[in-house]
Amino acid sequence: MIYRETGNFVTNYLKDREIFPLKFDKIIVILGLLILYLYVPTMSEYALSAHIVPILAVGLATVGLNILTGLTGQLSLGTAGFMCVGAFGTYNLMLRVPENLMSLPVALLISGIFAGLVGVIFGLPAIRIKGFYLLVSTLAAQYFVWWFFNSYAWFLNYESSGVVAIAPKMYDYWGLGNLFGVDMQGYPARYLLALTICLGLTYFAKNLLRSNTGRNFMSVRDRDIAASVMGISVPRTKLLAFFVSCFYCGVAGGIYSFLYIGNVDLMIYEIDRSFTILFMLIIGGLGSISGSWLGAIFVYEFPIVFTWIGDYLFQGAFNTAVVENVSNMVYGVFIIALLIREPGGFAALWGTTKQKLRMWPYPH
Amino acid sequence: MTDILKVENVTLQFGGVKAITDISFNVKEGEICAVIGPNGAGKSSMLNVINGVYLPQIGTVTYDGVARRSINPRDAAIAGMARTFQNIALFQGMTVLENIMTGRNLFMKSTWLEQGLNIGRAREEEKINRLAVEKVIKFLQIESIRKTPVAKLPYGLQKRVELGRALVAEPKILLLDEPMAGMNLEEKADMSCFILEINKEQGITTVMIEHDMGVVMDISDHVVVLDYGKKIGDGSPKEVMANQDVIDAYLGVSH
Amino acid sequence: MDWVYLIEVLVGGLMSGVMYSLVAIGFVLIYKSSGIFNFAQGTMLLFASLTFVKMTENGIDFWTALFIAAGIMVIFGVATERYVIRPLANQDLLALFMATVGLATFQEGFSQFIWDSDVHGLQMSKFLDIGLLDPAPIFMSDHIPWLDILIPKFDIFASLVAGSLIVVLAFFFQKTKTGLSLRAVSDDHMAAMAVGIPLQTVWAVVWAVTGVIALVAGLLWAERVSVSFTLIEAVMKALPVILIGGLTSIPGAIVGGLVIGVGEKLGEIYLADVFGGQGIELWFAYFMALIFLVFRPQGMFGEKLIERV
Repeated sequence: MIYRETGNFVTNYLKDREIFPLKFDKIIVILGLLILYLYVPTMSEYALSAHIVPILAVGLATVGLNILTGLTGQLSLGTAGFMCVGAFGTYNLMLRVPENLMSLPVALLISGIFAGLVGVIFGLPAIRIKGFYLLVSTLAAQYFVWWFFNSYAWFLNYESSGVVAIAPKMYDYWGLGNLFGVDMQGYPARYLLALTICLGLTYFAKNLLRSNTGRNFMSVRDRDIAASVMGISVPRTKLLAFFVSCFYCGVAGGIYSFLYIGNVDLMIYEIDRSFTILFMLIIGGLGSISGSWLGAIFVYEFPIVFTWIGDYLFQGAFNTAVVENVSNMVYGVFIIALLIREPGGFAALWGTTKQKLRMWPYPH
Repeated sequence: MTDILKVENVTLQFGGVKAITDISFNVKEGEICAVIGPNGAGKSSMLNVINGVYLPQIGTVTYDGVARRSINPRDAAIAGMARTFQNIALFQGMTVLENIMTGRNLFMKSTWLEQGLNIGRAREEEKINRLAVEKVIKFLQIESIRKTPVAKLPYGLQKRVELGRALVAEPKILLLDEPMAGMNLEEKADMSCFILEINKEQGITTVMIEHDMGVVMDISDHVVVLDYGKKIGDGSPKEVMANQDVIDAYLGVSH
Repeated sequence: MDWVYLIEVLVGGLMSGVMYSLVAIGFVLIYKSSGIFNFAQGTMLLFASLTFVKMTENGIDFWTALFIAAGIMVIFGVATERYVIRPLANQDLLALFMATVGLATFQEGFSQFIWDSDVHGLQMSKFLDIGLLDPAPIFMSDHIPWLDILIPKFDIFASLVAGSLIVVLAFFFQKTKTGLSLRAVSDDHMAAMAVGIPLQTVWAVVWAVTGVIALVAGLLWAERVSVSFTLIEAVMKALPVILIGGLTSIPGAIVGGLVIGVGEKLGEIYLADVFGGQGIELWFAYFMALIFLVFRPQGMFGEKLIERV
């Protein structure tokens, strides 16, 4: 067997904390990065624009929601609202700040901070309100943010149709037009930007999970009175979770609008989007960052695959309504089945599979 | 030896129910003080008052020279109080190692940004605090289960992990709520050894609620007896055992 | 200050509030007896009313359709308890809540898959015109004049229905043995089982009853919003109602409903100018609930969460 998990002894505490402790895993990661950065950009525009970039966007949002709900136990239905802040923030920054001072990556990150701050404001009630009652706050955020951007037309630059198509020059970096002769509005460039941001933020999230802050989040989730008795500031921890989580969602929203759809449109950020992300989170497994990505891929791709099956095997028998309804049924069944059999979601399923593979051909 | 903890005239009421009525006692620095009494006597409530979880209507608790009516549990932790709980309050979603590491959170000064990037201070702190935690893990002989999720551990081991989590904070005073509850003879012997060693080697004052008289007689220096929220005994183990009121309370003689 | 207008708004708000309470009662019933926050309440409304409407549109008469629909909801409730709730009984409440989220999604897809996704008008008032009260029919579809305002008779009817539901349920919980068992179950499942309360039967009953309540609420709501996907949206509004009233209180559901119903209308009319936009109704209810909860985190009549350490 090439893949050996035994015989790798750690010699110091820092090595014990590594994300990929096995040498073989490290090699896989490097290979993966090479593929992601060198091969994938050469894939078809369809593959990039209809599959990969949107998954990057919603996956990042799922990671964000995971930090708030999976790690810190604060239920949130306002994900799309925070994504909306990010999208509108990016748009307005690119629109109003002089070209040579602003570029898309910077705008995405700054609008993420806006979203994080909005998150903190709606997270304040979490200091007093616990459990299901907290749903009110994030729902309030969802509806309020939507209403806010809908009512003040300034944010959409007074576009009467309610939808703004993003101008090509917004993709320029610091007004420089093409960077190294590469078309920045083209999908390969968009993909690389989205990929880099998602990889960076996922790495950050994984580190956070293993750090003192991550343990603080989880302690607030598990037993907040015990946490405060140990010196952890529960209010501060909760607000930090809201900030970080909504930052992620804001950036994800910016990516969704700018790098995927190409429009800033309120209809994207309605409450059903919040639910979709929640499904991704539950199916992927709460508390697991890699699970969030698995869940996102599944929930996003299922309708597409299902339609494809309909087109190829049943001559296009499945219209959009059927696809949507069947998808909802499937999500529902998966959520319930996973909760009954494997509450850790796909992430836990993967862990169990690995364990079975280790034991194979022995049953235990 | 000075009094590290002074409880003075504390009364605690929940609505119409008086959990604690006018209780006063002192705890000397470095001693093991056992708080005993029949069920419902107010022992856990007393501990909660000391620790700041409950706010008494009357009375003050003087800790380390500072007299207060109430203390924020967080401030209590910063001031050197650590405790365990009657119904194990471990973080069920984490492993043994992670749980005990949370006990070190007051020693971690790095910001979340540094931790997310895993740079500089954050890395150093993880290393240093892991060292401190490993010392406690070794002391409590739980090396083999350090990566086990606590939810999978038997009750007795969970209690031990909880003790570890409290110990690792390097407290001045340890408040233990029934640390031996539900343990068999061997486990109790182990636990008693740990508590004794912690007290003798590190000089940490220990206030513990306990039901097992054998343990109380063996390891405590000072015993306080509560019954129906009132103090009915206070002294050395021998004195308290000879106290008629205490005997009556335990035998259920109506009073 | 146009008093008549104000009163009209208030009355409208009260009626609105009653409608919210109808939905809220279903939530509270399940929460009170099992601690589960049933996210699928809204989709149950949709499923129930859609089933009813499809039957009546296909020529089945009112009462038969009603009974069949109620029967289907009972079966559905029992099935939910057996296949979704029971397997999860040993997990924490968050898991159960997520299961209801899954249930809701499934039900949303299922209802529209087997019936359809169209909007179905459903004038309950017309049914009641003809079906209910012979030989002296009271025409439900018109209004009672009072103080220069026209109050739709149907709204009064809905309030009566909601009111009687509340009274019956409150009585049930407080005074009957079964009601007592339900409260015991919601407090602590394990302890309830230990004293011999048949957990599964109790829960099956609760879910079945909630299903029927969903049918009633759905049909009454359909008068205003027709039977369609938007019915579920209506339910999202019921959330602040229950949260203000307290998740464990049945009377709270009605008080919360009235508060939100009136507050919303008043807010829309008098505060719209302050915020410079229409559509405040969208989030006003949530903000009201939010501010309320900050001062009373367990709702008006909810049970205070006492955590013992």
